[in-house]
Amino acid sequence: MPKSLPLSHLFLALALIGFFLVPYAWSDSRVIVGYCVLTAILAIMSYGVDMITSDLGEVSLGQALFLAAGTYGVGIGTTRLGLSPVATLALSIVVALALGAVLGFITLRVREFMFSLVTYCAAVVAHEVAYNLEFLGASEGILGIPSMELTLGPFSYVADTNLRLWPIVFLMLLLVLGLMALFRRSTLGAEALMSHLNPDLAESLGVNLRRTRLKVFLLSAPVTAVGGWLYAYQRNYVGPDVFEPYFIMLFLSAVILLGKRLLLGPLIGVALILFQERFLSLGGDGNKVFLGALLVVMLLALPRGALSLFRK
Amino acid sequence: MQLSYFLQLLLNGTVAGLGYALIAIGWTILLGMARLVNFAHGTMYMLAAFVTWYLMRMQGFEYLPAILVSCLVLAVLCIVMQHMMARQIQTQDLTSIMIITLGISYILTGAAGLFFGGTPQNIASPLRALRLTVGDVRLTGLDLTIILVTLIIYAAVWLVLRRSRIGAAMRALAEDGKLAQLYGINPALLLGGIFAFEGASVALAAGLIAPRAPILTTMGFQEVILTFVIVVIGGIGSVPGALVAGLAIGIFISFFSALVSSAFALSAVFATLLVFLVARPSGFGKGI
Repeated sequence: MPKSLPLSHLFLALALIGFFLVPYAWSDSRVIVGYCVLTAILAIMSYGVDMITSDLGEVSLGQALFLAAGTYGVGIGTTRLGLSPVATLALSIVVALALGAVLGFITLRVREFMFSLVTYCAAVVAHEVAYNLEFLGASEGILGIPSMELTLGPFSYVADTNLRLWPIVFLMLLLVLGLMALFRRSTLGAEALMSHLNPDLAESLGVNLRRTRLKVFLLSAPVTAVGGWLYAYQRNYVGPDVFEPYFIMLFLSAVILLGKRLLLGPLIGVALILFQERFLSLGGDGNKVFLGALLVVMLLALPRGALSLFRK
Repeated sequence: MQLSYFLQLLLNGTVAGLGYALIAIGWTILLGMARLVNFAHGTMYMLAAFVTWYLMRMQGFEYLPAILVSCLVLAVLCIVMQHMMARQIQTQDLTSIMIITLGISYILTGAAGLFFGGTPQNIASPLRALRLTVGDVRLTGLDLTIILVTLIIYAAVWLVLRRSRIGAAMRALAEDGKLAQLYGINPALLLGGIFAFEGASVALAAGLIAPRAPILTTMGFQEVILTFVIVVIGGIGSVPGALVAGLAIGIFISFFSALVSSAFALSAVFATLLVFLVARPSGFGKGI
């Protein structure tokens, strides 16, 4: 007799199916379709941060570097090299891995605030480079990125609207969710958690802390880069604004909001934050105050996340 | 290169470097004594600059009283932050402290934007009008004040840490907080003093350095980076180390900007930091 699915899996499946159908149910509303697409893209980026924050116990403030690897991979790949979406995806991932390897190597010997500050420095310097380097479009960025066009033999699919981009974005979200679930069940996931919760014990059991940290860092880089890759096609533009502190604030808030190590946590977190920004906006500066206050209040009042209110 | 040009670059670098060191002194003490970081440090610099500007422009304060009130405001803000994070500080939950201060930084940026607006402003320091010339080398009264105040503050901090009972208590706190408590030292009170000093010192730095360029509510990130580089290269918690590192970085940026590229000066400083992290992670100086 086949085993019945646990209730949580059923809830997960229903929630994702429901989310997938929302843009089609409100296909006339550009606002709702755009909201869903952006939520999924930013959630994908957040999962890269989630891996490092929730599992490794570090705060990487350099994740914008990998986001930029994805966006600039598309910008350079399409406008200068004429690459296809699949090729720009490969380029984005390779660049993110290379950047992750360099940053991971530098931060091998540092932890906690030193790790955060070094990654923060890396993001600030990358911003300076992107802002000044003509090759990367400098302060103007790269305009004229074409819509994503997938071709297979005689078939072609052009994602020239948010609604047409949605299935691709959703598919990538599912892949990232699958990767997160596999990671947390894997030996690497267990080693990452052990090295975070009790590094001495982890080492005594034979876990190589530095190697584990580097592997997790390298795994998180392409995840965020994939989000960047989609973001570039969605906006048809790439610029140094991807280095703005807004992104890291959003990612951290999304990861923390419901509670760490929850599979749908970052997705729901991003959805709630973007809902406030899109439908209950307080203006640019007001939204900054709200997002910052959300982060502070959550950590001070509910350090285990909002779901801890409903747990015994 | 002409000698006068070289000397001018050296002087510019010295002023800028001592300015960086002045911004960094509060963080050096906070990190050295309490092993805490405050990501809102740069935003506090921005806020202090705007408080000074607001008091002078809107409330009719003179330059010096405006700086003093700004120091008081920032000291109170830091004490409030300390009380807010009391539980995290007690349990040394550094990850949460980092994220909370990052959140506070974002709140301050947004609140400053709402209150002060997005237009660049200028702090009208009377010291800028004072011009001094030695041969072909020029400096303003403000430059001279930055040099003197930084050296005085660093000397005073060094003396307090080395020669006073408060300094001994702080060193005991840095060495072993629990044992220091057994000996009758009140860690919360001492931490309150350290936080207040961080706020007041960054406000003083803002009052002296910010008048050199227009101020914006979006500034502060560069200050955090430079402060961090100074603290790391100087040796975490080392007061003389922070002074030397600040000076060295200021002179480096001055020459690099003039002779190579001003756009990539910060990147060059960061590259220096990376070399240090790989080659000498403990920095040059010894901790407190």
